[in-house]
Amino acid sequence: MLIGSADVKILGERSPRIASFASEPLMLSDVACLQLTAEMRNSAREAVLPPALHPTIPPVVSIQVWDVADSPVGAFGFAMCRVSCRSGVRARGFSTAAVASTQAAAQILTERFGFPCVLGEVTLRRHYDGVDAEVMVDGSRTLGIAALDPEPMDLDDVQYTGNLNLAHTPLGLRLAQVEVDHVASRVERLSARLSAFDGEAWGNRLLDPYFVVSASVALETVSIQPIRFVCKPDELAFTGTESVAAAGKT
Amino acid sequence: MKFGIFFELSTPRPFTRDAERAVYHNALEQCRLADELGFDHVWAVEHHFLEEYSHCSAPEVFLTAVAAQTRRVRVGHGAVVCVPEMNHPVRVAERAAALDIISEGRFEFGTARSSTWTELGGFGVNPDDTKKTWDEFVRALPQMWMQDEFEWQGKAFSMPARNVLPKPYQDPHPPMWVTVTSPGTELDAADRGLGCLGVSAAGYDEQERRTLEYHRRIQSCEPVGGLVNDQVHTMNFLYCHEDYRQARDIGVPMVNAFNVANAHLYWTREAYPTRAYQTLGNAGAAMKAKKPPADDPSVAKGLPEGVGVGDPEHLIQVIKRWESIGVTGINFLLNAMEMLPQEQVLDSLRLFAREVMPKFRSPEASKAPVWAPSRVAVKQAAAC
Repeated sequence: MLIGSADVKILGERSPRIASFASEPLMLSDVACLQLTAEMRNSAREAVLPPALHPTIPPVVSIQVWDVADSPVGAFGFAMCRVSCRSGVRARGFSTAAVASTQAAAQILTERFGFPCVLGEVTLRRHYDGVDAEVMVDGSRTLGIAALDPEPMDLDDVQYTGNLNLAHTPLGLRLAQVEVDHVASRVERLSARLSAFDGEAWGNRLLDPYFVVSASVALETVSIQPIRFVCKPDELAFTGTESVAAAGKT
Repeated sequence: MKFGIFFELSTPRPFTRDAERAVYHNALEQCRLADELGFDHVWAVEHHFLEEYSHCSAPEVFLTAVAAQTRRVRVGHGAVVCVPEMNHPVRVAERAAALDIISEGRFEFGTARSSTWTELGGFGVNPDDTKKTWDEFVRALPQMWMQDEFEWQGKAFSMPARNVLPKPYQDPHPPMWVTVTSPGTELDAADRGLGCLGVSAAGYDEQERRTLEYHRRIQSCEPVGGLVNDQVHTMNFLYCHEDYRQARDIGVPMVNAFNVANAHLYWTREAYPTRAYQTLGNAGAAMKAKKPPADDPSVAKGLPEGVGVGDPEHLIQVIKRWESIGVTGINFLLNAMEMLPQEQVLDSLRLFAREVMPKFRSPEASKAPVWAPSRVAVKQAAAC
């Protein structure tokens, strides 16, 4: 059984802090969500995950770029990089890094949900025949995606998995299970290529999404649900999962 | 009720040459014992690249060894992946026919289309196409076996007229099956006159619904081959021990290990937006399996209902329930990740054969040839 081997102490040094768990969902309207999945090489599959998590076979990086038109903190752009994994037998994505385009968005996503956000420029441009996405941080282009030839899909043809965000929480350093509900009104599949990806900027220089599997873009509403469960980062989910409510931390 | 054993050839890390050898040879020993004990079927999957979960990528080789080392038990592909990037249909027909000859007509032919991106991506298969190519394969293969001159113009493959050789020993051809994980595949099986080979653990209610609909629908089938196979088999686990608590303590971790390894695969639906895969393969099915009532002391803690882990009396009740909902065969996984020592697996098989099997058949029936669809079924098919 494959198990993550990343040093939890080192991961914890750059993890955000959740002062108190969100009690209400965060509702985002008129969202365009580009999701790209790409395989990465086996050499890094365990090294990028904490010991609580299992890599998938093959290891996969999942990137999402959001263009949010309306939210309690206004319009913003958001991008995150996740390593697909299993928590117990559940499909999840371990967040390695995220970028938000406004201070208010970065603050709410970090402090309430544990997304490891930094400030940057996030651009998602939709064209008649495709979508382009770009992320700039401190003047460097850390992500570039060019996706072409959209094909309409059924609304539930795209699979989204929940996030595991490593954060310092009222229960200690924990993997916060963040369920993000996507309700789409339009979904398209595209052919995509990664024109830029800076692994170091996305949380680990070992990340190497070398083989793009698929890309999709959805027009949707997104609700980020209150955190109900957390997991100890160095213990398998079968025994290391804790209920936030049971711990009286909601 | 037919009883079979089912092999994924799961192999624990660390991967060594000796470990893989042991998995294969332990499985062959289990097959020889199962044959002696009166089991009816040995099935082997076809999977590629599925680390730990299944190292059974050349099932035709494994099954040929089984056929050569046994006398009565039927040997089955459970199942051949029917996409041309993995298997050209002519090679599938040739290998199946040769295996039917080697086994003296004891071959069963299961078909599938693969549900993991791990496999489809490895062979460069477009997930949108697999259902279509599977359908083309199951229509073409019986013609290859029955015709002296076969030609085909299709989407998955095309070829000028050739005589595909050898022909199978069973006439007109071996019974055909389709593996069923996604809801609705049982209807595809029924419409084509194919047997329903369950490879995921559905609960009683779900299996009953599927089985009833399958039996209803197959009455009006249009058979793709020269016979109708109307059997419904399900997949299960087996660990049988005189002491129920010990059976549970040993069997439950084995079942869980299998499910965990299964969950680590990367499912097509997760990787690639497509209409062709609406569920997460058998991982999704396993997670949805109905859990037994928490206050039912007769059911192993931590297992879905209907799992074959327990003492003989418990297993008899479980199998009677499966039988009552129309299941005609159960194929058991005997081990996972080699968690059980070989002697425990063999003892479990022996106890099952001694204490459980006789409740479902006479000793004579366990020695008679295993029923398979025959020419009579061809006439029934003509009436469909």
